[in-house]
Amino acid sequence: MRKCIGIILLIIIAWGILTSLQTMPFGVSRAKVANHYINNGKDETGAANIVTSVVINYRAFDTLGEVTVLFLSAIGLGAVLATIKTREKRDTEKASLILSTGCRFLFPPIILFGAYIFIHGHLTPGGGFQGGAIIASAFLLMYLGCHGEKRLNDRCSTFSESLGGLAFVIIGLIGLAVGTHYFLNNFMPLGKFNTLLSAGVIPIIYIAIGFKVGAELSKIIDLLMEES
Amino acid sequence: MNEMSILDPVLLIAIPLGLAFLIPLLGLVSKKIVRWIPVVGFLFNGIVALLILPHVLKQPIIVKIGGFVPPFGINLYAGSVGMLLASLIAITGFLVSIYAVKYITKGAEQKYHILFLLLLTGATGVVLTGDIFNLFVFFEILCISSYALVAYLGTRSGLEASIKYLIQGSIGSSFLLIGIGLLYGQFGTLNMADLARQIVDYTEPSVFVSMVFMITGLGIEAAIFPLNAWLPDAHSSAPSSVSAVLSGIAIEVGLYAVIRVLFTIFAVSNFFIFFMVLGVLTVLIGEMSAFAQKNIKRMLAYSSIGQIGLIVFAFSISTQLGVAGGLFQMVSHTLGKALLFLCAGYMIFRTGSMEISSLEGIGKKMPITALCFTIGTFSIVGLPPFTGFASKFMIIRAALANGELLLQILIGLVLVGTIIEGAYFFKIIQTIYFKGAHKTDNREEAPVTALIPMLILVSFIIVIGMFPNIIDKVLQPAASELLDQVKYIGSVLG
Repeated sequence: MRKCIGIILLIIIAWGILTSLQTMPFGVSRAKVANHYINNGKDETGAANIVTSVVINYRAFDTLGEVTVLFLSAIGLGAVLATIKTREKRDTEKASLILSTGCRFLFPPIILFGAYIFIHGHLTPGGGFQGGAIIASAFLLMYLGCHGEKRLNDRCSTFSESLGGLAFVIIGLIGLAVGTHYFLNNFMPLGKFNTLLSAGVIPIIYIAIGFKVGAELSKIIDLLMEES
Repeated sequence: MNEMSILDPVLLIAIPLGLAFLIPLLGLVSKKIVRWIPVVGFLFNGIVALLILPHVLKQPIIVKIGGFVPPFGINLYAGSVGMLLASLIAITGFLVSIYAVKYITKGAEQKYHILFLLLLTGATGVVLTGDIFNLFVFFEILCISSYALVAYLGTRSGLEASIKYLIQGSIGSSFLLIGIGLLYGQFGTLNMADLARQIVDYTEPSVFVSMVFMITGLGIEAAIFPLNAWLPDAHSSAPSSVSAVLSGIAIEVGLYAVIRVLFTIFAVSNFFIFFMVLGVLTVLIGEMSAFAQKNIKRMLAYSSIGQIGLIVFAFSISTQLGVAGGLFQMVSHTLGKALLFLCAGYMIFRTGSMEISSLEGIGKKMPITALCFTIGTFSIVGLPPFTGFASKFMIIRAALANGELLLQILIGLVLVGTIIEGAYFFKIIQTIYFKGAHKTDNREEAPVTALIPMLILVSFIIVIGMFPNIIDKVLQPAASELLDQVKYIGSVLG
């Protein structure tokens, strides 16, 4: 009975989404807002990557919110896990020399690649979130390959996490204080298009996000690893 | 311009966010400072919000984030409703965070304060934003911090309630996101005013579907019957300071979002009868379930459901007086329920049990707390001269204004709900004061950091209850703002 009701409800939902989807033309650009971003994004924000210009400039406030959501999930996970008193002890076998050396060898290039991705966020695909995720993957590799040998430096991750978030807010507040007096306003010179030092505050914000996201995802990995 | 740029409404969101990011750094220096950060943040917010409030009563302030003209950038809409609720959030947050300074002693303290600060920042963002996706983002901030705070004590019931809440809340968020996605697909914009301008007829199937998705998603957080299964567990197993803001702020903010979406984006005008019936059902089910409870926090949680029903009912009358009454009821419920949870927190702490029967003789043991609790119940039930009376009276006046038979019958049922409410609250008061007289315990009052917020809340309840005109000056423009969609569109898009 319950399954039947469930299936009927699902069919109704699917039908609803379908009717809605049918009204949307496919492959035709008719969104005024999206066209504005495509046509004016380069001149208004100075970023060669249009996605970045939307994420960090037009809708930067949403991104600030998203960064906070990630921050919250790391903090929330920590708060919940802090209540667990008894930890399971498990026997783990040490990884072989080849594996642990390989992981150590790969660690710096991955970090470098992550940094490259977020520093070039305004020029090439990717950005702070992607770069941060790559950095976290380097830490994940260390946890998997060299289990129990190396841990994330707690103090260091707290610093990058907090300073990253603070930098974002402070850049926003500087925008409110100078120039045209708008929060998160791009108050710095846009520079020469398609060069590393262009697009005003966008690269700075993306670097801050890169540090923050990298630190937070690594912290989540650290917390969960500690539990298992 | 100069004065306004100092008092920018965006500060209400930016400063608490910045403080929340700062807490882990300060935590490395000193553990004690951290406790006072939410207090500082909400004190700041309260002052700024109250300073901005008089400016927005005639003309809303449109904050263009990044300086982009709507609909191309995100804008905040600091109108009377937004600023009224933002002030309420800031004041309640300030009082509850003073309470929490001594109350929260177990667990990861520093993380508690970050989560608490961000919960209310999310709420402030929801009430101020003028962009539908931005609303979703702040809603997520609000929800995720609530999930974590419900599980904060780490008890079995807390974890279970948190998981329940997490699952239902995530389904709600997904529905909301699907609704937003469908709207964006059809209209190519996320700005609320721009959407409102382009949506001509909400009964068109494709638009109606997205509306249903959004209302269902938001309705889960607003705890409208039948979407409120998570609430009693979540509100009763969280620490009391958290329950106070979950009951007093979080569900109200969810309800605000429902109302904003219905009134402003879709300009719904003719199926409010559906919401009226839902509201009355929510009242009756909430109050009857509350009546059956033996656990004081569960009783308060169910009573919140009843109050939400009443607010839904008031809004769906959708006249100037009705909407003003709904907003007023929101204010009085926030003050009353926050007070009740704060009092209950220390009563439970001192007796060591949440059972109502264990509260016998607490009136002698903790006289001030018990008195505050009594005033809170009187206000929630709606006895004069407390705020609950003024707001309920306004709703009754609104319901009877048209002379429609249906409304008269429904308000009759709502009053039955109020009678049940009175019955169970008086039962507690009887237990507190008149039972167990043989017990002669020593006086063990709550600490000063808890008594100050309680007494301030009591004074608000009495002052607003005796002079409802103070708040009426804000309620009337707020109600017209919600009802006047054309003005909303005009003030954002020019």
